Amino acid sequence: MLTNLIFIILFMLGFYALIMKTNLIKNVIGLNLMEAAIFFWVISFSDIGGEVSIHKFGETMGKFNDPVPQALTLTGIVIGASTAALLLTLIIELNKFSGTIDRDQIEELND
Amino acid sequence: MSLMNIELILLTVLPVLIAVFMCFSTNFNRHSRNFIAVMGVGIELALVISLFVLNFEAVKNSNFFLQYTLGYTDTPFVINLAMDNLSLFFSLIVTSAIFLIVIFSTQYITAKENIYFALFFLVLASIQGSILTADLFTLYLFIEAITIFTTPLISFEKTEETTRAAMQYLFYGITGGVFFFISMILIYFNLGTLKMAAVAESFALISTPMQLTIIIFFLLALIIKLGIFPIHFWLPRAHSACPAPISALLSGVLLKVYLYIFMRLFWTMIAFDFLVELHLSDFVLNLALVSSLIGHVFALQADDLKKMLAYSSIGHIGMILAVLLLNTEAAFYGGLLHITAHLMMKSGLFLSSGYLLQTTLSHNINDLRGIGHTNRLVFAAFIIICLGTIGMPPLIGFVSKWYVLLAFLKARHFFGAFVVAAGSIIALIYYLRYISHAYETVKEDGKSIKEELLSLKGFFSSTNKMKSVIYIFTILIVIFGLGFKILEMPINTAIFELLNPEKYIELVLGG
Repeated sequence: MLTNLIFIILFMLGFYALIMKTNLIKNVIGLNLMEAAIFFWVISFSDIGGEVSIHKFGETMGKFNDPVPQALTLTGIVIGASTAALLLTLIIELNKFSGTIDRDQIEELND
Repeated sequence: MSLMNIELILLTVLPVLIAVFMCFSTNFNRHSRNFIAVMGVGIELALVISLFVLNFEAVKNSNFFLQYTLGYTDTPFVINLAMDNLSLFFSLIVTSAIFLIVIFSTQYITAKENIYFALFFLVLASIQGSILTADLFTLYLFIEAITIFTTPLISFEKTEETTRAAMQYLFYGITGGVFFFISMILIYFNLGTLKMAAVAESFALISTPMQLTIIIFFLLALIIKLGIFPIHFWLPRAHSACPAPISALLSGVLLKVYLYIFMRLFWTMIAFDFLVELHLSDFVLNLALVSSLIGHVFALQADDLKKMLAYSSIGHIGMILAVLLLNTEAAFYGGLLHITAHLMMKSGLFLSSGYLLQTTLSHNINDLRGIGHTNRLVFAAFIIICLGTIGMPPLIGFVSKWYVLLAFLKARHFFGAFVVAAGSIIALIYYLRYISHAYETVKEDGKSIKEELLSLKGFFSSTNKMKSVIYIFTILIVIFGLGFKILEMPINTAIFELLNPEKYIELVLGG
């Protein structure tokens, strides 16, 4: 229950930063917060209090955590990091052109 | 495992190898680099065509199926590539269009070609991967890869406008990807598998609220990626800022790939009955039709040639999505025919807009005055393709729009039929606006039509590859318009897959 609550709060915080804030870097932080919330939820949901899921030869495994969500999350983190890097690069480029990182000001300058 | 199964993995690996090679080809001269690019995509096309020709009998009898599995088959997710008639059809049309676009860009792109081609081939690999993949997680990876690799291509010419467009594109693309990830993870927690075929078998076991959540998040992700009405405003910007071949790639090819993914998810993986049961199909159908109207209306007020073409893309994609959601055989026939037609027409239009840019300052309507006099033949080709998009009789645009209209009328969906007809009339107005501007001023020092015709002698001898590609698209539009029955066999077999997903599920799980 607590994990669900934390997930919802983190996700909504990220969504708020993505939609409502006009600072582009805050938008990137919001996007990453949304992703982090989902990863947190996935990991905590798949944790059933078992062993670390590494197969040992000749031993029967007891209760163990499903490794697949962890693998998915790892890949998701890689994608999130690369997109954040790409977004920040574009924001730096944009700052060179227009001298500001405010979403509304950039729109106003061009229209 | 025969050689043909290994061809599947080659289809995705070959472009990656060429991309890596292109990355390190800074010391190559222009000619050899272009040669390798064209050869690479040519081999890709030859592979797809050979799959079609060698399995012609199987394709004709609708029992064509190939798959290639990496890893153990009993784990919840393996890298599994599968090809049935639907994926073969899309692979064929997409690779042919990309082949022509690469030939065009060998002459169009004059700076940083190694980076351009490296990114282009990575996009090609991701497109092939997302068409061929048979499990959900690999599909997610390839969709994200498409978004990430197209972003630097959009901001390829570093100006403020392109950087802004690329940033907006990436923001929306990643948000769509996050929604896709949520759906995927919910499916995994509920069913413990990510193979599309295994999900299809047991999707009915999930509780109804969870089904609704999964379907809504998938729909949200694809609506963002397709640029359907409420979330469409990133599309015209992104599709008009990039270099012309990339516009053709995004608008002509990539939107069709997302439509393919839509079909895979909602007809093969999640049976279409679930969408009808949850009352979502009607809602999305009407949303797509509204999006189509809005796209066409916004194209009226666009003063930039490429923006106008991008808005018209929104109109066409909305129409195709709406007709597919009718879920009848006639609707699939119209939809798949219009996918092929729009692929050719929009690629041709964007490429010719790129050629016209060489003789003008910008794509603004005021700078296009008199362009019809200075580039007679290319502009004539542009007009023919425009007429195809509007839906004039001997061209493929007419045939496909006719079948779309027929499908709407057969399903007694009159709003849809109205949107198709109204879209054509509005399209006529906005294309005529540009064409009349192009012939406005008196003739300047352009070539005479005789000189232009004489320059056609070197059609393939690299005097002007860009012109040749535009003419090829025009000729294809006329030829397929007259002989659209050629497309009937592959389209009908693709429809068979949509109507009988059990075959795909059985074969993927059996192999």
